[in-house]
Order: sequence, then structure tokens, then C-alpha cells
Amino acid sequence: MNPQELVDYTKSLDCIHCGLCLRTCPTYQLTGAESSSPRGRIYLMRAVAEGELAATAPEYREELDFCLACRHCESVCPAGVRFGELIESARSGVEKVQRRGFLARTARRIGFGTVLRSRAWLSLTATSMRLAQRTGAARLLGKLGRPLVEMSTVPPKSERAPLPATTPAVGPRRGEVAMLEGCAMRELFGRVNRATVEVLTGIGFETKVPQGHVCCGALHAHNGDLDGARELARDTIERFEATGNAPVIVNSAGCGAHMKAYAHLLKDDAAWRERGARFSARVKDFSEFVAAEMPADFAGTLGDELGTLTYDDPCHLCHGQQVRAQPRTVLERCGAKRVDLPDSEACCGSAGIYSMLRPDDSKAVFAKKAAAFRSSGAQTLVTANPGCHMQWESGLAREGVKARVLHVAEVLAAALRKARPR
Amino acid sequence: MRAGVLEELRAALGPAGVIADPTRLLAYECDGLALLRQKPAVVLLPRNTEECARAMRILHREKIPVVGRGAGTGLSGGATPVDGGALVGFARMRDVLEVNVADRYARVQAGVVNVDLTLAVEKHGLFYAPDPSSQAACTIGGNVGENSGGPHCFKHGATTRHILGLVIVRDDGSVLDLALPRPDPDGFDLVGLFVGSEGMFGLATEVTVRLVPTPPVTETFLAIFTDLDAACDAVSDSIAAHLEPSALEILDRLTIEAVEDSVFAAGYPREAEAVLLVEAEGTEVEVEATLAPMKAIALRRGAIDVRRARSAAERKKLWAGRKGAFGAMGRIAPDLYVADVVVPRTKLRELVAQSTRIARERRLKLANVFHAGDGNLHPNISYDRRDKDEVRRVLEASDEIMKVVVAAGGSLTGEHGVGLEKQEFMSLVFEERDLHAMCRVREAWDPAHLLNPGKLIPVHACREMRGTERPK
Repeated sequence: MNPQELVDYTKSLDCIHCGLCLRTCPTYQLTGAESSSPRGRIYLMRAVAEGELAATAPEYREELDFCLACRHCESVCPAGVRFGELIESARSGVEKVQRRGFLARTARRIGFGTVLRSRAWLSLTATSMRLAQRTGAARLLGKLGRPLVEMSTVPPKSERAPLPATTPAVGPRRGEVAMLEGCAMRELFGRVNRATVEVLTGIGFETKVPQGHVCCGALHAHNGDLDGARELARDTIERFEATGNAPVIVNSAGCGAHMKAYAHLLKDDAAWRERGARFSARVKDFSEFVAAEMPADFAGTLGDELGTLTYDDPCHLCHGQQVRAQPRTVLERCGAKRVDLPDSEACCGSAGIYSMLRPDDSKAVFAKKAAAFRSSGAQTLVTANPGCHMQWESGLAREGVKARVLHVAEVLAAALRKARPR
Repeated sequence: MRAGVLEELRAALGPAGVIADPTRLLAYECDGLALLRQKPAVVLLPRNTEECARAMRILHREKIPVVGRGAGTGLSGGATPVDGGALVGFARMRDVLEVNVADRYARVQAGVVNVDLTLAVEKHGLFYAPDPSSQAACTIGGNVGENSGGPHCFKHGATTRHILGLVIVRDDGSVLDLALPRPDPDGFDLVGLFVGSEGMFGLATEVTVRLVPTPPVTETFLAIFTDLDAACDAVSDSIAAHLEPSALEILDRLTIEAVEDSVFAAGYPREAEAVLLVEAEGTEVEVEATLAPMKAIALRRGAIDVRRARSAAERKKLWAGRKGAFGAMGRIAPDLYVADVVVPRTKLRELVAQSTRIARERRLKLANVFHAGDGNLHPNISYDRRDKDEVRRVLEASDEIMKVVVAAGGSLTGEHGVGLEKQEFMSLVFEERDLHAMCRVREAWDPAHLLNPGKLIPVHACREMRGTERPK
């Protein structure tokens, strides 16, 4: 196989080796090893393309796996290196030439190939996870069950019900939106989805949810299954095209960042690239949309029932979508008392399924976040991504910090209920 | 490396402190000077002075050469590994050990990132003055090794003026503790001698630095020129007028374009041929007394506009843009050669024009972004290291630039050090006996030539000396 097909060689040449990325990289912070920094990883990718390093080297895959793909490096890169795209293509390349162990291979096949493509499987998985957690069976599974033991309990079936195809606007109708229900979001954070619909309809937008849609493919792309990601991207585009041209509202930062980049993912097929670009232009993060459309009667209603809030930027919202001000704006406009979280743009260690694949590294990355939260003095942590949400819940519980973790939409829904009691 | 040595090193530093697999070692082939590459035999990442000393004892016994490395942002090849040698990296030594607010000093481990030091002390109304453009990445230990500069060194002086004490691990692993802050050391000023020794006297593991009070007022303005020569002349005039702003920087058009296309877009006007970035600090009266005449000089030299930063945020952006300039050049070509020479400040215009001509004659893309106030030029040449002929032309241009600078009374390096890059040019500025004197100082620290060997001193100089004057 031509080594230049195993990485995005052209993009790797944008790196001029200045090193400004080092300090922001969570894995470099852990090891101090150049090879676990963005600059070092790009150096290795380039070496693969130039035939100086075999892509079959186990340490090469290890350093790619170790990366959280948080893309913090992109926010400080003066040369504009697109590291997120580089890591995705390099991981995809490695999957072509390195065979993982039997267990890992099987888990990947089931996870990416089956569960993340079917609502029935997702639902069954959620039910079994809940069962394992509630009965204590997860503890019996030893190391395999550890992520289950440590994460918050999967909500009951009643909270995992599908969102209606259409929810009408409350009060005068100002327009319509389409909304991504999400794969894991529906199973783990149905309450966030319902809060999202409540706010969108509450500010006058009829909300449509394409029925039968499962996954946008972000997890596939982040983990080296680019073909699977492309298939799911085409499916996503088709289903949302059927809803019309309304903005596509996403309450999961990782999905939003990925869906905004469909044109790049589908770049090798002109027709799909075009459809991808049109679709991506419709995609808006929840707070990005609400910040622009928030009505005046929202202002200052929340009071202090949630205590002092602090907002932690999900990486794929701040680094991936450049959405930084809007979540803070909407929180403040609804009257929340907000304090800044130190280093809020640093990764919390969740990184999609990373926290399950590499629990120790994930916890080591989280340690600094817990300290930052403590020093902020806040009682409620606000985020905008399901992975971060889980990581904060389990992380703070582990550290013995009593705090509530909420999605921006949940805070806004609470404010809305106060503004317009039913 | 002899069998068993790796295991011994692992026992001394812990398993995460030793990198020996060929894949990971590849990432250490070069520092910020990508032209010169050499894979090390092993990389060691100690966590404290004791671990570093233990490793050095083993390496010394085995006669393995040692190269120190901070963040690998250096531009003269100071951290380029030596064939068969060890690289001692300081990326795991990032603790601020002590901040003494009343006495205005801090003690830090050598791997503390320059900007983290300032962030750690700013709440006390203090800062660490030397601010290399790479300050968001480079380490204090690396700054000590290279005697690094930075925009604000125009007023505050380079690293050497800010180092009060050091803990040094010597070639044989013995520890020389000079950490107590001494404004005027008893006996020889070994700390002063060590700063700028480019890793050839020992490895600094802890650094005591001077902290400077944050000035009550800081003001920044941007003078916009349609002509690079005029911007240079404005700087020469302000030096002659004895003005002392805290920083005086020039960025030319190509640099402005690269920066404005980047995440560090600062609002430099794209239509300008050059901008002069000026900062003054002190009391309101002092700042005005500097900036008013600076502004008059800029306008007299033909500046079409002078814009003052209206807020701290705007000022920060202007500096972030300046400091991201090197990296931003990645938008122009895959590699960048950053020359670093100092010229008499009366000859800025002439030598900037000369280097532009030298690059143009060789069909090379040259951008100028430099510490004009110090006469410290950085002709930046963009290239692609895969193009052998272009690499040859870059090296030729750099030779030529150094020659004209030295002929005009300038010097080889402003802040990047000599390293591998300028080693052979030392003979341009020093006579044999001067080089011999340097060799003798070096031999006092490192008689076996194990510390960063093959750097700084031209190869022939020390070889001759080893034949005749080698200490018994």
C-alpha cells in the first residue's frame, strides 16, 4: 500500500514545527513525550508518508490511540494545521495496516458496525447496561465492567422514549427547525433532548425530528472508521433533506462539529460533497441558534435556584466550531449567576468513547478539571455535550465533589418554566 | 549502548522517564531547526534534579554524549541530538518551586514554560520579563541555555539579566547548587557564565529568576508604513533620540499577510508594506514622554497612520499576532529558516535591504519580522526541505547574510544561539586564540566533551586544541 494513502500527507506539511501546540495538548501534559504531542504526532505521520516510518509500528498506533482528538492544538496553531482531519485520516490508515486483538476487533465491529447503526440495538444495549448497573452484575465483570460501574446509571426506558416527529411551537410560531435526536443522547440524556425541544418550541420554533435516524457517524470518524462515517453521513443528509431547509439544531458538540464538516468527509464524491456542504450550512449548535433567537421575556428570570453556574467549553464546540460566547451569553441572559471556570477550553478527558477505551488516561486528564471546578466556587457545572456530561458526573462523584451537572438546554428550560409558568 | 544500561536508566528514572523505541525517538530528530536532523539513541525525561543527576552519572560512566532539550523550539539546532547520544528533556520538570513576592524572585524547575511563569506570578503584580516569541511553548531552562531574548528585552535585557541563581547538574552527575539569588555573587559569577552556554557546561535543572513589577501603565501603538525602509529609519531615529520604549518591532508585508490569515489575526493592515509595533510602560507621564516623540518620528518618516491600541484585549492581540508570526509562515511553505543576526541600529535600512536582495537573487521568499529596537534582524526564508536545490540556496543565502552583517560591524546571533547552525561562522568574528580561550572554559566544565558536543565551537578549533593543550 502506498504510504501516502495512510495519512493526509499534504495537510501534514502545513506544520512548521514551531511547538506552540505543546502546552495545550492534554497527552503531552501527561507524558512530556514529544511523540504524544500534536507536533510529534504530525512528525510521525509525515515520516509514514515519506517512507521513513512503517505504519505498522505498534508505538505509532499507540500514540494515535492516545490522542483525545480534542483539537485544542488547532485553536493555537498559527499555521492553521487541521489536526482533527489529520488524526482521523491517520487512524483510518492504521486500521488498514494493523490488526487489533480479537476482543478489540470484535468490540469495534459490534460497536461501530451494529449498535451505532440501529435504534433497536442501541436501546437493547442501554437496557442491558442499566440492568447490569442496577443488579450489580457490572461489578462482577471486573475490568470490563468498570466503565459501567463508574458512569451514572442509565435512565429507565420511560426516559428513553423517542422524540415526536413534530412538536408545535408554543405561542406565536416564529419558524421551524429540525433537530438531531442523537444515538447516545436519546439513550442516556433523554431529559436533555426534551429540554432542548422545550426551549426551541418555547421560543416559537416548531421542532421536527427525523424519525428512524440513528447516528451522524462522528464516533466512527474519530475512531478510524471513515467508510462507516461516510455511509452514516449520507444517511443523515438524506433524512434531514426530507425535513426541508430549516436549521438543524444539535445539542451534542461532537456531533455538531462533525456534521459541519461533512463536505470534507465526502470530498471524494463531487455530488455528495455539494450536498454535504449545503447540509452543513444548516447545522447550528443549540446555543448558537438560541443566542440569536432568544426573546426578551427570557431575561433575568432564573434567579439563584441552580446556585452559581460555571460553563466548561466542550472541545468540539470551542475548538471544533468556534462557539465560545453564545453559551455564556444565553446563560447570562436568562439570569444565571455565572463564574468563569479556569482553563475551560482544556479537555475533560471524555473524548467520545475514549473514557471507556482508556479509563486511566481519561481520569488523569480529568484531574485538572476537577481542581479547576473546585477553585471556581460554583455549585453547578454546565456543559453542552453528552460525553463531557457523563465525564463530569462520574468524575466529580469520584472526587467527592457535590455538584449538579446540566446541559445549557436544561438551564434554559428551567428559566423558561419560571418565565412562563404553565 | 552497552547491554543493561537502558535497564539501569529505567531504574533511575522510572519506565515513563526513558524513551528508547525507534518510533518515538523519531519525533526527537530535530528542534525548531528542521534542516538538521539526527535521531538520538535514547531520550530521558527526569522529574527532578536528583533523577537528572542519577541519569548523568550513568551516562558519564558510559561516555555517552548528552544533549539537553526544553521544548525543542530552538532555531539554531541547540537541541539537535548527537549520533549515539542521549537527549535529556525537561518536559516533566514543570513545577514552580517558590515565589518570593517581597524579594521579587521565583525558583522554578527548568521545564516550566516561559508564559506559565508569568501566569503564576501576575496575581502578585509581577512578571517575568524576557518573552521570546515562542514563550507559549519554550522553557525557562532552554532560555537559560540560549540566553534567549524577546520583544521586551529591548528595555528589560535578555535572559542573562534575569537569572539570579541556578542548580546545575554537571557532566559527571555532580550537583552544583547556585540557587540562592545573588545580585552580586561572591567570587566568579558562575551563573552569569552558565547563561547562554548552550548546554555545553551542564544541565540547569532549577532556575532562580528575577521578577519585575507590572508597570502601572502600558500603551501600545502601531505605525503603518507604505515602505519598509521608512519603518527602519524611524527606528534608527528613535534610538538616536534616546527614546526607551519597552519594545520596538517591525513586521513586513509578507509576515502581516501570514499572521492575518491565521488564528492570531491581530488587525495589522494588509495594505501596509511594514508596521512598527511600539510599546511603552511606566507611569502615565513616562509613557506619554516616550510615545509622543515616537509618534512624531514615525509620522516624519512617512507613516500613513498611527493607531493606538484602545484596550488591553486589543494590545494582547497585537502581541499574539507578532508572536505567532513564525508559525504563521507555515501557510507559505512547509519549512522556515529563521536567521538571527544583530546589526548596528544606524544601519537597519541598509542591511534589511541587503538581505532582501540576497534572498531575491536566489529566488527565495523572504519575510522580515524583527526586534528592530535591538537591531536584531530575523530574515525569515520560506522553503521546502524536500527540494534539495532550494535547501542549498537557503544555506547560501544565510551564509551571505551573515557575511554582510559581520562586515557591517554586526554579530552572528541575537538570541537563538550558535548551535549547529552558525558554528562555522564563529571564525568570521573570532580569531583562533579567542576560540581557544572558549575551548579552555568549556574544558573546565566538560573535559571529556560529552555535553552537547559538536556545537557552537567550530570543529577545527577544539580539535587543534585537544592535540596541544588537553589538560592532563
